[in-house]
Amino acid sequence: MFQQQKQSILTEEDLAGSILGDLKRVVREYATAATESTCPDIRQLFTKLMDSTLALQGQMFQAMQQANMYNVSSPALRQELDKQAKQYQQTKQKTNQFLQQNLGQRQGQTMYTPNMQHQSGQHQQGTQTYYM
Amino acid sequence: MLQPMTAKELEYIADSMSNEDLLMKQCAAVVATGTTPALTNLCSQMIQTHQQHYDSLLHAINHHLQMAPTQPQ
Repeated sequence: MFQQQKQSILTEEDLAGSILGDLKRVVREYATAATESTCPDIRQLFTKLMDSTLALQGQMFQAMQQANMYNVSSPALRQELDKQAKQYQQTKQKTNQFLQQNLGQRQGQTMYTPNMQHQSGQHQQGTQTYYM
Repeated sequence: MLQPMTAKELEYIADSMSNEDLLMKQCAAVVATGTTPALTNLCSQMIQTHQQHYDSLLHAINHHLQMAPTQPQ
């Protein structure tokens, strides 16, 4: 009598999706493990494993997307981007004022020349950006 | 300087090895049953990476073995 092999009822897409989810979870767990490590070499190990796993998750995501296995979210509307950018530019200016008021020198003696009067497009000294 | 491994670190390492173990088996399932070459090739490579991760974690335990106390502190 032939023994019938049981097939997985999960599709290739299901299996890949399951791996994708697990990779995401494992990235978070490595990050948590790194923050809770006391031994520097153990912390470094978890950091490397986190970076490596994150790279794998990216590759899996890309592969699934190219195979049309993943439903990506729609682009945000321009007016939404504009609204958020404006709102947070305001917050930035308010907080800059706050910082200058609270970190500035004693009353009557200020080393800071507030540049909050300037246009928002002006480049601020000493800013470093991680984007591009 | 090498410090003794804490119980918490050991637990995270053990859990991580379980995670890597499961991931490599899941990748093997895709390789064994999948029909999309891009995906099966990727999963095949990923098995190796997960094996390396696993080995690094195991190595960490062995490396800290000698420094581990035999009595609770």
